[in-house]
Amino acid sequence: MAVATVQAASQDMPASIAGTVVARNVVVPRRHPGRWLAVLLLAVIAVQAAHAVAMNPNFHWDVYVKYLFWPQVIRGVGWTLLITVVAMTVAIVVAGLLVIMRDSDNPILRGLAYAWVWFFRGTPIYTQLLFWGLFAVLFPRLSLSIPCGPEIAGIEARYLVTPAMAAILGLGFNDSAYLTEIFRSGFGSIDRGQTEAAQAIGMRPGRIWWRILMPQAMRVIIPPTGNETIGMLKMTSLVLAVPFTLDLTFATNAIANRLYLPIPLLMVSGTWYLAITSILMVGQHYLERHFGKGVSVHPARAE
Amino acid sequence: MDAAIDTNFCVEMQNIHKFYGPVHALRGVDLRVRRGEVCVAIGPSGSGKSTLLRCVNQLEGISTGRVFLNGELQGFIERDSRFHPLATGTVAAQRRRTGMVFQRFNLFPHMTALQNIMEGPLQVKGWTRERSRAKALDLLQRVGLKGFEGRYPSQLSGGQQQRVAIARALAMEPEVMLFDEPTSALDPELVGEVLDVIKDLARSGMTMVVVTHEIGFAREAGNHLVFMDEGMIVEEGPPREILANPTNPRTRAFLSKVL
Repeated sequence: MAVATVQAASQDMPASIAGTVVARNVVVPRRHPGRWLAVLLLAVIAVQAAHAVAMNPNFHWDVYVKYLFWPQVIRGVGWTLLITVVAMTVAIVVAGLLVIMRDSDNPILRGLAYAWVWFFRGTPIYTQLLFWGLFAVLFPRLSLSIPCGPEIAGIEARYLVTPAMAAILGLGFNDSAYLTEIFRSGFGSIDRGQTEAAQAIGMRPGRIWWRILMPQAMRVIIPPTGNETIGMLKMTSLVLAVPFTLDLTFATNAIANRLYLPIPLLMVSGTWYLAITSILMVGQHYLERHFGKGVSVHPARAE
Repeated sequence: MDAAIDTNFCVEMQNIHKFYGPVHALRGVDLRVRRGEVCVAIGPSGSGKSTLLRCVNQLEGISTGRVFLNGELQGFIERDSRFHPLATGTVAAQRRRTGMVFQRFNLFPHMTALQNIMEGPLQVKGWTRERSRAKALDLLQRVGLKGFEGRYPSQLSGGQQQRVAIARALAMEPEVMLFDEPTSALDPELVGEVLDVIKDLARSGMTMVVVTHEIGFAREAGNHLVFMDEGMIVEEGPPREILANPTNPRTRAFLSKVL
């Protein structure tokens, strides 16, 4: 009988060591009636809300469906995506340079980086976009010249700072100030020993930055940068200030004003913003997984 | 002055002073380490032995004095009795000739054990991936970690991490190995495995400077013992003699506490 017990045990009990059967406690799962009650309550509320929205004639679902894939709307989605991606790229490159400048031994470079963050973080984005829109009025002609001397080359500002360019620079420079702080916290979270170990095997500063520090900082940088990217997506609706008139919000507003039906068109733009955000979140997930290599994450949790 | 440089010395430090603000951390240290010699530095905490070690590969800048590695002045060009600091790239090239092992391992956490060891040959020496990989596998076997290629540092014990760190330093084929308290952060039962690797390395003829609190290791593997206190070398010589009959009262006081 004892033999039979050992055999039966060894199949599903890896804890049995060399024939010693360890009797396991039979644990009955703890009941959580409070949780189930909360789930039930929330489910009822959700069904009620969904019903109220779906059956409400004021939402004009037929208009919503008609304009969801309207060419003007799709073009707006394209422009919004383009401005988001390009402005974010500008912001990341500028923030990268600013972080290096802030790390510099030279007080002038450090001061410049600090002043940039101070200015672009300290003034409203709407005001900044208005100024970028007025750039061609304030500076009609951009030229490269010897100071107080003859001009070498010049261009009409309105050809260079087009509304799209103004929107990209305005959004990008504004966000670079916030990203600088995020990057700084990311690089600041790395132990000093990492740089020393890389120096000790003879790596040059650029390579230490790229191979050792950046991949480790990314782990800290990505979640808030994902936030910034999603924030940027929705900030593109402010480019009306430039004025830039091809983005998603402007497109749906224009249709809504023509139809005198703001609600369904707001739902159209809302759907698209949500869709783009979802795609960005998937991308963020894979980035986090890539840069999370080698880190065993056991998030703290209050039981 | 240059005539004083004996090329038999792998590391030669002349009159090294180091200030941290008002703190005088090193007070005129002279140290000569012959090729193939295992130089062990002991002394109380804060005596400057780690700082001295870090001056060899320029992780610390010296305030006064000269450091030579196999006859080459480190960190500066001396011209018209003035010191001109070398460019960052040249300093990096000089550091390639030394290998360092840290108290806290400092492995790159985002790389596997193999990638940690390959990083130097691949990125700094410009070897091919195949050659770097072969070298790294060879070294992993040498430190007794065959089969651990794919482990990340977080999946290794302290002793294993430190052995990977030793392999990473060896991958650069350094002229001298610097150990900065390599076993101080380890659990007692893991100290032995790391010391065995270091002893093995000593037997292979590698020049080493080891800062440690392991007196047994100093007696067994060292052939040049340096006792430091308050930023100065107080006593030096063959380990067995000094450990058996310390002449300096401060050495005697220190040894009576740790032995």
